[in-house]
Amino acid sequence: MNRKTTRIVLKVIRYAAVTLILSVFLFPAYWIIITAFKPMSEWNTWPPHFWPYHPTLVNFAVKGILPFLRNSLVVSSSVAFISAAISLMAAYAISRYKIGGTALAGWFISMRMLPPITIAIPLYVIYVKVHLLNTWLGLILVYLIPAVAFGIWVMISFLNEVPRELDEAAYVDGATRIQTFRYVIFPLSISGVAAVIVLSFVQTWSAFLLATVLTSDSAAQTLPVYLGRFVTGYNIEWGPLAAAGLITMLPPIAIGLIFQRYLIRGLTFGAVKG
Amino acid sequence: MVPEKELKENLIRMHDRRIALLFILPAVVLFLVMAIYPFIYMIYTSFTNLNLSMSGTGQFIGLSNYFEIFHDPLAMGSITFSTMVLLIAVPIEMAIGVLFGLLIRGLKGERIFRLLFLISMMIPGIVFGISAQMIFNYLFGAANYFLSFFGVPEIAWFGHAATAQFVILFLDIIQWTPFIFLITYAGLLSVPQDLIDAARVDGASRWQLFINVELPTLKSFIYIALIIRLIDALKIFGKIYMTTWGGPGMATSSWSFYIYKVGVSYGWDIGYASALAIILLIVSAILVNLLIKVLNLGETLELKREG
Amino acid sequence: MRKYTILMVVSVLVGLFAMMTMASVSLSLITSPDNGPSLQWLAQEFEKQNPDIRINVSIVSWETLYPRLLADLRAKSGVYDIFTWDVMTAGSVHSGCLDLTKFFKEHSNIIPKNYDRNDLLPLAEKLGEWNGDLIGLPYYNNTMLFYYRKDLFNNPKYQKEFYDMFGRPLRVPTTWAEAVDVAKFFTKKYNSNSPTRFGIALMFPTTHTMFYMFPLFFGPYRRSPEGIREFGSVNITYGDYFTSDGKPAFANKYGLMALEDMKALMPYAPDPLGSDYGQTIEYFSQGMTAMCPQWTNPYMQFKSSPALQPYSEKIGIAPMPGRSVAGNWALGISKYIPLEKQIAAAKFILFATSKWATLHVLEKFGIAPIRESILDNPEAQKVIPWVKALPTIYQTETFRPRIPQEPQLESITDVYFSEMLAGKIPMTIESLKKLAQKWEKVLSSK
Repeated sequence: MNRKTTRIVLKVIRYAAVTLILSVFLFPAYWIIITAFKPMSEWNTWPPHFWPYHPTLVNFAVKGILPFLRNSLVVSSSVAFISAAISLMAAYAISRYKIGGTALAGWFISMRMLPPITIAIPLYVIYVKVHLLNTWLGLILVYLIPAVAFGIWVMISFLNEVPRELDEAAYVDGATRIQTFRYVIFPLSISGVAAVIVLSFVQTWSAFLLATVLTSDSAAQTLPVYLGRFVTGYNIEWGPLAAAGLITMLPPIAIGLIFQRYLIRGLTFGAVKG
Repeated sequence: MVPEKELKENLIRMHDRRIALLFILPAVVLFLVMAIYPFIYMIYTSFTNLNLSMSGTGQFIGLSNYFEIFHDPLAMGSITFSTMVLLIAVPIEMAIGVLFGLLIRGLKGERIFRLLFLISMMIPGIVFGISAQMIFNYLFGAANYFLSFFGVPEIAWFGHAATAQFVILFLDIIQWTPFIFLITYAGLLSVPQDLIDAARVDGASRWQLFINVELPTLKSFIYIALIIRLIDALKIFGKIYMTTWGGPGMATSSWSFYIYKVGVSYGWDIGYASALAIILLIVSAILVNLLIKVLNLGETLELKREG
Repeated sequence: MRKYTILMVVSVLVGLFAMMTMASVSLSLITSPDNGPSLQWLAQEFEKQNPDIRINVSIVSWETLYPRLLADLRAKSGVYDIFTWDVMTAGSVHSGCLDLTKFFKEHSNIIPKNYDRNDLLPLAEKLGEWNGDLIGLPYYNNTMLFYYRKDLFNNPKYQKEFYDMFGRPLRVPTTWAEAVDVAKFFTKKYNSNSPTRFGIALMFPTTHTMFYMFPLFFGPYRRSPEGIREFGSVNITYGDYFTSDGKPAFANKYGLMALEDMKALMPYAPDPLGSDYGQTIEYFSQGMTAMCPQWTNPYMQFKSSPALQPYSEKIGIAPMPGRSVAGNWALGISKYIPLEKQIAAAKFILFATSKWATLHVLEKFGIAPIRESILDNPEAQKVIPWVKALPTIYQTETFRPRIPQEPQLESITDVYFSEMLAGKIPMTIESLKKLAQKWEKVLSSK
């Protein structure tokens, strides 16, 4: 009997702990969501309203946000797909031909760790000269760095799982290396490619520092920059700002949830099938 | 081997190598142009007094910038906070991340809990900053409201160094623990079931199960998560920008944020900012090298040429 | 593959559409939140009268505006055509601004007949100059006021209680020393009968706000007879932080006293070190404090706040107990844009600073006027009560430095003052001397 009660008690404790942790971790997001639906009278109250008493959709009339949303979509999607392509190619070369050995792979992977501020300033100066300031291309190029770096790391692990015998078999059948790549390797590493696309998209979407430094107005600025425009601001309108925050939150959450299997596989370098 | 066959194999190998080099070219070009070139430019400017807000600057001044860093109390103060993030936030993230995985493993609703925890990871840091400004507001915030239940008088979160630091660390923990969780949880999942069953049959308790069966597999995942997180922690920026702006005083100014203030925000002092950035890069590089060694990256990625 | 083709086709179509809808001249204007709403409204009115010109107004916070603008001007990239620049950044933005004196002489035909240049307040116009060049038309002649709860100060019950507590009548403070008792009276923690939670809403955050709050307290010392004797008179190039010949003037007992005055009030303010512009406006709007030093256009928010109705009875406005500080904004035009855009931009800034515009943005948005005629306008004085007080305040307000190194000086000083007020650095003349040393280093340029 004692053993059974202990197990039940333990289980209750576990549920309680999980609920507590989740409540704390999701609270900031929850606060943004409810504030987005609050009218002005409820933004700053005491006691605070944990639920909008008079929910409204007025805050979502942020038409000014559309160019920023467009820019985020363009930049994040482009980085996602281009980084997948470049990563796959580079990872193939490393996995199959061991080009550059540990040194080269190490260098690629270390690019992921590059603190953005360290390249932001010289890039600003360079971008001005080559007229890449405040352009999509400028942002895409710079965000490809962490995306490709991480993507290569992920793809190498995935490609290592594709048996080399398949390469040999294809070769024996008369295929060129490029054909082998296109018809054998690529299809088998699709889930790795998908993982890189999802990860790159989510990471680029949230990126803030480089976008702030390298863009000037709504022609190229992304959503995080839009949100950051009112830092230590005047008279912050919490409702519209929270609505904008909500709009910014949704795409990566949606993509992350829909493609969570790829996300998990990607972040664990293929170790887990999810 | 017949010489003819050997020649053919060599020709094939050369051809293969050419294709391989072609495949690796885009990545190499990307990094050279976008990262190495700016990096070299920055090394150069760190030895000058270039200041974009004043004309006539840009002369070579040797190591002056670097010496100034050591006499700059604001820079030294930034080291303190960056270290706090490394030594306080990261361990807590590791602990809660691993703990959460262990808690939900085998529990009913495991998938849902996992999903909910992941949502936090998808949210941009800026959004957390906005949320924090509301939650930790002195007169109207939910945080002080919760405290009032325990009879604790309201705290001026952003007005005191310690509490402002707490807020930033708290935000960092909220944002990054799910990442740790994800990686270590994957490790938990990959523990072979038969090992668990065997241990159970042998009468092992939950604790013994963890130490002897799960932990060994988990170790490498924990290492990966830890070192990625340690290096990323040096980058902390968005949350500070949106809430405390490095204040009060220097309390929440990370090294990255200080570089931003010097180099972008208050006057484009490129020379000095470059010197600060070089130091940051050196520290990051040391940590990265550590990463590669600890992970035994060569073997992990099967890159070592077979003897 | 198909997905990409579709994407490309859509992009091309969107691009064509965008090109077709482009007006003949499109101007980009960047501004701060104080000026933003009024400029947006003016842009709309301007476009009605000038249908071939489109103005895109970008509103960003001060911390974002300044570096963006400076970078654009220094890099000569011409991203922003028109911009509002803050008074103390005159020296650093100067090189990128169009010389308006020359420009107006060459293109005098675009100046409207009834513009009346002489109507512009001399001080405002001078603040739009640097090194003798007119680099901006004054737009917002901003200064700080002392808002207080008239109803509470006039209430006989509180007057009696205050007299019982402090032995003197309750009245709006005229010095910061006086303000301490009043603030204490209105802070619940120290007076359980207080109608408000806190006495005064103060903002001493580690942002550029700190740099303009200090002169409110330092001004009285700097401008006292002793101060003038020791440091010389104040000129608008170097301002109250400096002596008349450009040396830091705060590393002495006066600077220390100013900081001590600030510290004395802190217990009676809600989170002064962690509150900025937005927070203090919110505190006063919701009736949480009895006093609030603030700029001129927060009045519009106070006026419409539910907790402060009826506003004519509850919102009192007085001159600053210490001295006010100048916060002028001017409209500048980038030197690095094509002539066609410069002409269009000039048309707009003339429009925005015309008599009609000045009157309307004052009444609608609380933008303090740059014109003599509007200051004297009885209608304006009726709508906005503080207009009458402005002329006196303009004569006594303090100034921040306008030299090119100003932003760097600010950045260092914000941190030092914050740490001194928090007690992390000892609040002594020694510490101020150390700060002054850092100033000297920046000024002598590396």
